[in-house]
Amino acid sequence: MRRPVFVNGVGAFTALGATWPQTCAALADGASAVQPVRVFDATGFPSSHAAAIDRVPPGAPDRRLSFALPAAREAWDAAGLKSTPAERIGVFVGAETGRPDFETLVALARASARDQGLDESRLIKALQARASALAPGEVSPAAVAFRLAAEFGTRGPCATVSLACASGAAAIIEAARSLRAGECDVALCGGVGADVDPLLLAAFGLLGALSASGVSRPFDHRRDGFVLGEGAAMAVLSCRPAAVELEGVGRTLDAHHITAPAPDGGGAIRAMRLALADAGRHSVEVVQAHGTSTPLNDAVEARALQAVFGERLGTVRVSSVKGALGHTIAAAGALGFLAGAEAVARGTVLPTAGLEQPDPDCSLSHVMGRAVTMRVDAALVNAFAFGGANCSLVLARAA
Amino acid sequence: MSDAVAIVGAGAVSAYGVGWRGLGKSLVKLAVAPSVELAASHPGVLCSSVSEVPSRLDAGDARARKLMSRAARLGAIAMREALVDAGFHDRREEIGAWMGVGASGVAMQDVPCILAESVREGALSLEKLGERGIAACNPLFTFQTLNNFSLCHGAILEGLGGPNGAFFSRGAGTVTALAEAVHSLLEGDCDRAVAGGADTALHPITWAELVRDGFANRGLMPGEGAAVLALCRRSERPLALLRSVAAVPEGGDIASLTLPSHADLVVLAPWGAPARALLSDLAASRCSACRTIDVSLTLGDSLAAAPPLAWVAALDLLKSGETALVLSAGVDGCIGSVVLRQGGP
Repeated sequence: MRRPVFVNGVGAFTALGATWPQTCAALADGASAVQPVRVFDATGFPSSHAAAIDRVPPGAPDRRLSFALPAAREAWDAAGLKSTPAERIGVFVGAETGRPDFETLVALARASARDQGLDESRLIKALQARASALAPGEVSPAAVAFRLAAEFGTRGPCATVSLACASGAAAIIEAARSLRAGECDVALCGGVGADVDPLLLAAFGLLGALSASGVSRPFDHRRDGFVLGEGAAMAVLSCRPAAVELEGVGRTLDAHHITAPAPDGGGAIRAMRLALADAGRHSVEVVQAHGTSTPLNDAVEARALQAVFGERLGTVRVSSVKGALGHTIAAAGALGFLAGAEAVARGTVLPTAGLEQPDPDCSLSHVMGRAVTMRVDAALVNAFAFGGANCSLVLARAA
Repeated sequence: MSDAVAIVGAGAVSAYGVGWRGLGKSLVKLAVAPSVELAASHPGVLCSSVSEVPSRLDAGDARARKLMSRAARLGAIAMREALVDAGFHDRREEIGAWMGVGASGVAMQDVPCILAESVREGALSLEKLGERGIAACNPLFTFQTLNNFSLCHGAILEGLGGPNGAFFSRGAGTVTALAEAVHSLLEGDCDRAVAGGADTALHPITWAELVRDGFANRGLMPGEGAAVLALCRRSERPLALLRSVAAVPEGGDIASLTLPSHADLVVLAPWGAPARALLSDLAASRCSACRTIDVSLTLGDSLAAAPPLAWVAALDLLKSGETALVLSAGVDGCIGSVVLRQGGP
């Protein structure tokens, strides 16, 4: 018999608050952190809005750590599992590659340029000359997990999942797998994204994925792309009973396209069905959707939900925190996980900020304006990634 | 591991070319890989690089390759080879895929293109960057940036749709990827899976990191490549059985690694000299061995690809009834161990 996995503590550091309760209260009120980018001059960029965390300056040594550490501390303290031996505590973090500050990148590139091209030997020398400006923590995805392990003195499994927009959800799934398998007794897990910088704003702009209007409004018929966000969401999981159980997980690949979801939502459908089957459930009361606010993704996810829940879909309340917090990339799935846990633990179903005129092609029982309070026995959380990876998780009220 | 998972195929691309059969035997003979001096970009540095891949063996078509980082391209080749080798031709949407992946490594040539259009009066202007610099960039640039694309390009080309994971790796993450694949097979999440890693230590930024952190001065030879194992829960005629897979993070309890008391073959994949000594001592203290080889002497350290290249080298060298212990030590300080047995449990 597999070991059950419970949610013992959560923490978050977002553009709406320095803790999960602060963030949750703002989300429940329908607040949005999306605003014009102020941390650098974004004039002329394809999108100039983001849900940035202004209180941590862009020049901080590693903004990912500035977000992840307080979120992890909050989750850790809430869990109260300090007596667990260090060897039995694992750390599982969803993170992508960090970046040095933009001025450093510019200096490197200018020092390396020759004849309108790039001289790699000059680049190597320039990189070495600026070693102190390129601290390991700024470029290695694994730096966050290693730092958290050191901070909390853990000596168990330590893994970094780099699965783009599904990284945080995939890290939680990996933590659950490790707990179920008995490889550890406590898992600190979640995701962090610190991508509101010129390079990523340019990169996602090049893809045409960002909202030109600068508004994140998942499932709204006026939606025109996602808005970048940043932050961290962490959870402490263990086999010690708590109010919320992580009952089921599912992972699939679309095997379709490097950025676009399969039009029939096949990969997403399979991930949700696997998670429900793993949980032994046919339905849930709440779905915390991936809901990015891009025209195609939201429509495909809505169709996938219809395929999974059929006639029951009318009773399933659906929302996405990306309307308020933007798309936090590697943190996104973990933030959705916290929203799902909140629904199960307290019956607070958070709204989709920015959603005012639902798209008829996304015919769902949306939560708009403010949070609704209801009894929630189970919630489904979705996280889908560039590259076609799909993660779904089922959270449930513990028996 | 209470049960064994069968290895039924493999794929690899390394300095020895595309393919895994014969790779281990070449290493035993200490045949020198076609290492070259990186005179142009890395003066005085010897490396183990993958020479040009014949077009019939390359990944995807020209358009698809434009979207790929080098690691993604190598990974897609190894993934295809493993699937073909295993005869995994049908129901590919059910096949799981786990990869250890490095930082993708975008084409650096785009950077000066952006900057040339982004400078105003001798200084960088973010406003000009937004208005003109972005437009000067190859729009495919973005597709090369995400680490998981080293998994996803191959999965898309080959139609893999099962459970999956991309673990960032400087060595150990790839062992974790294999452990995850084994767990999913044993739990019944999937009946078949591929697991491996792809990476290059030759990308200018990666190499600069390795130099900065002192690894180059301590004997690390940069390498590149990819290797993938094809796995299933049961097989009538497996190439070998996976008896144990484990990874211990830096500072973790090495004694927790499950090592056999005897191995006919020990294959080491250390990043450099200090790690070589550590792995040799570990193997000698816990396991008697008939023969030992060190793949890093000719293949260098290909980071996320180093452990799986050692796995396929061991696979190539195993004889009927033999057991192999493969130990890897990456620049992340983690140690991975994999035990293979040929000829049934």
